[in-house]
Amino acid sequence: MADKEIHDVIMVGAGPCALTAAIYTTREDIDTVLFEKGVIGGLAAVTDWIDNYPGFVDGISGLDLSDALYKQAERFGAEIRLGEVTEIIDEGSMKKLVTTDGDIYAKSVLVATGSDYKKLGIAGEKEYYARGVHYCATCDGAFYRDKRIVVVGGGNSAVQEAMFLTKFATHIDLLVRGDSMRASEILQHELEKHKEKITVHLNTTTDEIVGENNVVTKVVGTDTTSGQKIEIETDGVFVFIGLLPNTQFLASSKIELDEIGMVKTDSNLQTSMPGVFAAGDVRAGATMQIASAAGEGATAALMIRKYLEDHERGVIAPPSPATMSAT
Amino acid sequence: MVKNITIFTTNTCAYCVMVKKWLGAKGFAYEEVNLDTNPERQKEAFELSGALSVPVTVITKEDDSKEIVVGYNLAKLAPAVG
Ligand SMILES: Cc1cc2nc3c(=O)[nH]c(=O)nc-3n(C[C@H](O)[C@H](O)[C@H](O)COP(=O)(O)OP(=O)(O)OC[C@H]3O[C@@H](n4cnc5c(N)ncnc54)[C@H](O)[C@@H]3O)c2cc1C
Repeated sequence: MADKEIHDVIMVGAGPCALTAAIYTTREDIDTVLFEKGVIGGLAAVTDWIDNYPGFVDGISGLDLSDALYKQAERFGAEIRLGEVTEIIDEGSMKKLVTTDGDIYAKSVLVATGSDYKKLGIAGEKEYYARGVHYCATCDGAFYRDKRIVVVGGGNSAVQEAMFLTKFATHIDLLVRGDSMRASEILQHELEKHKEKITVHLNTTTDEIVGENNVVTKVVGTDTTSGQKIEIETDGVFVFIGLLPNTQFLASSKIELDEIGMVKTDSNLQTSMPGVFAAGDVRAGATMQIASAAGEGATAALMIRKYLEDHERGVIAPPSPATMSAT
Repeated sequence: MVKNITIFTTNTCAYCVMVKKWLGAKGFAYEEVNLDTNPERQKEAFELSGALSVPVTVITKEDDSKEIVVGYNLAKLAPAVG
């Protein structure tokens, strides 16, 4: 029988959090493998422009930041595999990871799987996916040169993406369910500068995406203050209504999650499964920023180093339920 | 056997970078059509894929049959070039 493949640490995901953690672990000669099922750089890579990551006076494009993090992690010897981890099994001092590349073992694991876009769950959404309904402006925006777009959502992502889409679209209708926007003051201020092109509709639900001959033609919604149905003609719909944590693959592991599926950790970022750590957007209490994901990645790497050292010496402290954070 | 590969991309598309990285790592050469610099070819990408989305990877086989993969989808890309 072939020998088991064993590593000091396997990181699930290769977003800013895991890439930062990998810079730290590999610089300390900790043998590190990352698994990435989507894009190296995670959500940061699909963000057009990042203005609040420290060290870049004029901001940096998401793709450039991701590429720099990737190259820096690789320079110290991190190995990134393009594949998905589908299960983590606790075998005591060893964790077995079931992956699309086969089974692989690790002395410690970092779960840094971030989150994915929420869907609206309305008629027409599935039918017109990638043919008029989109979740990634940087990927698909270019198809809407000189066209009309509806953007759904009132948070930071929706506002940021709507402003990015003004590069292409003639007009954007931003549909916000609540009576105010959740986006930060600074983004709302920026949005004001685009009022010629972006019309904000507060108190407006998005109920149905309608098309003709395989192309999206309009969005049907409701003005919740009057109860009136409204119809907005459009060529495409971009949906940014929040995120869902990527933790479905942990369902069988008994790793403790909070009520919305985010991973609970103690103050050392260790989960309820000893030797498995979680950090970044997927962690209960995360602040959903690249700088904080990178910071948590660095902290997790240092905690993993300590865990591995203690492990070598045979001193293993289980995670303390008393300090598990849920918020 | 693969005869040639064309990828329709845009400047800001991270999934396009992944398709190029993956094909490169497997040793495949490809032609890239950037739709930001060649917007006139958008129609062609749409007609081939039926999608208003990139990346669109067109794999032409020795017998001139074509396989088209939309997005960074290894479950489709790997068998298409295999
Ligand atoms: C539109 C938008 C704009 C944003 N703008 C900003 C901004 O301007 N400034 C800022 O600070 N933050 C911004 N953010 C937030 C920022 O992108 C995230 O906080 C940050 O990317 C989180 O990093 P992460 O590494 O924790 O997770 P992610 O970046 O989500 O990376 C997680 C990675 O794990 C992978 N993965 C998931 N499950 C598995 C699995 N089972 N196996 C293998 N791989 C897996 C995913 O494919 C993903 O690549 C924005 C987010 C969005 C959506």
